[in-house]
Amino acid sequence: MKVFSNECTFDYSWEEVSTANWRKYCPWNDKSTHVIAVDIVSRQVDPATGILRTERLITCKQTAPKWLAALMGGTETSHVLETSYVDPESKKVTMVSSNMTWSNILSVQETVVYQPLSGTQTQFVQDAKITALCGGWQKLKNAVEEATVTRFSENARKGKEGFEAVLEMSRRVFSEEKEKVQAQAQQKMVA
Amino acid sequence: MSASLAPECNEVKERYDSCFLKWYSEKYLRGKGTEDECASLFKDYKKCLTVALKERGIDQMLSEARADHKESDEIHMRRKCECLPAADC
Repeated sequence: MKVFSNECTFDYSWEEVSTANWRKYCPWNDKSTHVIAVDIVSRQVDPATGILRTERLITCKQTAPKWLAALMGGTETSHVLETSYVDPESKKVTMVSSNMTWSNILSVQETVVYQPLSGTQTQFVQDAKITALCGGWQKLKNAVEEATVTRFSENARKGKEGFEAVLEMSRRVFSEEKEKVQAQAQQKMVA
Repeated sequence: MSASLAPECNEVKERYDSCFLKWYSEKYLRGKGTEDECASLFKDYKKCLTVALKERGIDQMLSEARADHKESDEIHMRRKCECLPAADC
């Protein structure tokens, strides 16, 4: 098993980050182009805790190294299931993801947590456990795990850059919306 | 917002997504979001998606993964009973 860990800070409030998180993979994000679709499989607010639980099916373009894809049996797309929990009371977003494609040979379990550091800063903590399940040959297992960790860290870097772009756009669109509403209200007052 | 894996579902998905985002940012995060206002839009989208998943042969794989994820609920939904034995939980 290999572990990939990553941590960073976004200079945006937790509310902004947790909202933008829903459109992380939209056209504003031109970095995470390996994600081609995001579908919502289920979503509900738990009446007892107020926690919003969402399951998303994420479809990615296959970006595994050629030798690995050949070994695993080539598919053009791969799927990930992400279950997220938003707790507005304790201001915490937790996302648990795992690979659906190739899951009998490779297990990738990722956990991401977004929590506020202050009113204007949000911390992102990412952990992934990568385990090759193919029996026997240790060298091969290591190579599969190494390749997956490498791809993971590349995507993590791109993911941050892309998400920053989404956050910036969200803030801009939100303030434009607000100005529009204010302008309309002023017009009404004048009239 | 992001596209659906099924292009035929994009339109209903977009309608649902915008409804959800508005509800999430304006109500849910402000503690006023108990009612699910987007339920009917979600139903339309889900209907389209369910067919698409079946057609593409992803439904089985998805339901297996969903069953595995149920295990995370205990940790992240605070489902484990933390209250007194007498309490109703």
